[in-house]
This record gives sequence, structure tokens and C-alpha cells, in this order.
Amino acid sequence: MANQRSIWARYLSWLAGLMLIALAGCASKAIILVPDPLGHVGRAEVSTSAGKQLLAKAGDMTRISGSSSPPSAVTTAAPEFIAATFAEALAVEPEPPQTFTLMFEAGATVLTADSRNMIAAIVTAIERRSAISVGISGHTDAVGSDKLNDALALERAQQVKALLQQQGVKPELISVTSHGKGNPAIATPDGVPEPRNRRVVVIVH
Amino acid sequence: MKIAARAFLIAMLVAAPAFAQQGAEVIGHIQNAQGAVSIQRGGTTLPGAAGAALYRGDRVRTGKPGAAGIVLTDDTSISQGSSSELSLDDYAFDPQEGKFALVLRMIKGTFSYITGQIVKLAPESAHVHTPDATIAVRGTKLLIQVQE
Repeated sequence: MANQRSIWARYLSWLAGLMLIALAGCASKAIILVPDPLGHVGRAEVSTSAGKQLLAKAGDMTRISGSSSPPSAVTTAAPEFIAATFAEALAVEPEPPQTFTLMFEAGATVLTADSRNMIAAIVTAIERRSAISVGISGHTDAVGSDKLNDALALERAQQVKALLQQQGVKPELISVTSHGKGNPAIATPDGVPEPRNRRVVVIVH
Repeated sequence: MKIAARAFLIAMLVAAPAFAQQGAEVIGHIQNAQGAVSIQRGGTTLPGAAGAALYRGDRVRTGKPGAAGIVLTDDTSISQGSSSELSLDDYAFDPQEGKFALVLRMIKGTFSYITGQIVKLAPESAHVHTPDATIAVRGTKLLIQVQE
């Protein structure tokens, strides 16, 4: 008797499971790799508990029909499907940021002449875009003590902030950070001098 | 009196997560907002207007009609269509200390996601979760649909 009841319980739970799978099957989800604003196509690996798929070329799409089903085989997304499904999200995509790289005289907080002229262009970009954030980051090469480099990078970034503020940029838009040697433009081994890494990067969003 | 004290206590409990954010670091901003957009921070719901600052743990919700475009401080860009919900589960961008983390949870809706400097510098620290799948993104732009 007890045995029979447990068979029924098992049957019912199996039936419920089947219905859940059917419901999950209705909830179709799609993941599509597309070119970025610069035309570059990256890569993405999509996993569920039951398997994974690699998206590697423009338009590659996999569909997900539940955590216990593997992602579907990769197909190519139709442009009409992309337009119909993602129109709202694509319409509010933030404009890609504008990036300015400023160089300094060696060991000093004095901008090179070319970079000094760039300040006006940065101010124009901030006004044209009605920017909501201006990120200023100081960077160094991999020579010298971290402490000294970080301090110099920060001082240079502060210098750029002061110049932008003098031109009327609101201080509350600006954030200043030092990346030290952790985010080089040109990767080098430790201890190698690289003038192109001694810079301040201004990113206008 | 007792009721007033209790109401005050409840108000403090509800508001506490919002106060706790005061010293926390801004991780990004809402750049574009259309229609109904809100930010859930702890127990508080705030309007999600263009220019609003975002913190780790925030959830950005859109109504119908509604849409929002977000930029994080590492240049990650995420935009979402109507009836969408995004949770900024974890975030760290500190190249000087070599600390990176980016965990996004796309709970429902439609999303366009463009990777930023975290994926460039430390791709293994970036994860996107949907209710059923995990996406390891190695750049640079993905469209993600999550239906309820």
C-alpha cells in the first residue's frame, strides 16, 4: 500500500516536472554576438547546467530553453529578429565614450604643447554631449617605485582636472583616479621605461 | 507614542540601506532614460533619471514603456528595453591594486551589452547571469533576451 502510494507520488512529481519543462520551453531566450561600435566582434561562451555553446562570429545566436537543457546549436540571427526584439534597448544605447590621451614632460606635471591644446577639445566634447561623467585617470610606466609613480600619476590627473575646471567644467562631473602601472597603453615587463604609458586619459561619457 | 516609536524604527530599518550607500563608491550612471525607469537600492526605490548615480548591488528596472542606457566607470555599457530588470551584483575596478569584478544579472527583458576595460584587463572576472544560463564574455557586444 505504502509502496503503491510512493509510486503515485513519483508519477505525480514526474508529471509536474514534465509540465515545468514544457513551461520553461515557452520562455525562449536568445543570446546573440554582434559587432561593437568599432566593428570588432568578440567571443562569448554560453553555459547551462546541461552544456555550453561558443559564439564566435557576427550574428551567432544560441537559444536557451531552461537551466537543465543545453543551449541550442548556434544559428545566425536574422536582422529582422534583432530589430524587432532589441529596438528599444538599441535606441537608448549610450553614445560610445570619447577618449583623450594627454602626455606630459618627463617627470613633471607639465603638459606637452600638443596635449595643452587638447584641453579645449575636451571641453567642447563635454558641452556637445551634455556629458554626465568625465573620468580622469593617471597612468605610469613600469619604472621606479610604485609609490612615486602613483603619486605622480595622481598629481598629473589632478592637474588636468584643474585645467578643465578653469574652463568651466563642473567639478561634480569629474572623477579622478590613479591606475598606476596597472592599465598600460603598451604592455611592458616590469622596470622597462615606456614614455607612451606616462599619460593621463580623459574619458567623456 | 509607542506606535510612533515603532514607525520610526521601521522607517530607519527601511532607510538604512540607502544611508549605508552614502560613503560607497559610484560605479556608474544612467546615461539615457525613457518612460518608467527606477533604481532599487536596498529597500528603497528611487527614480532612475538620466545622470543618476549607480552603486554596487543596485537593480535597474524599466516599465512599459521604459528604457535605460547605463555606463559603468570601466566603460561597460548596458542598455535595456521595456519591462526589463538588471542587477549590478558585483563590481570592482581598481587597476592600481589589480582588483576587478563585474557580475551582472539580467533578470528579465532585453539587453544590449558592450564590454569595458574590466573584460579587457581581467576577462575571467566578468560574468553575466540570466535565470537559466551563464555567459563568459570575452568582448565585445552581445544582445541578450530574457523572457519571463
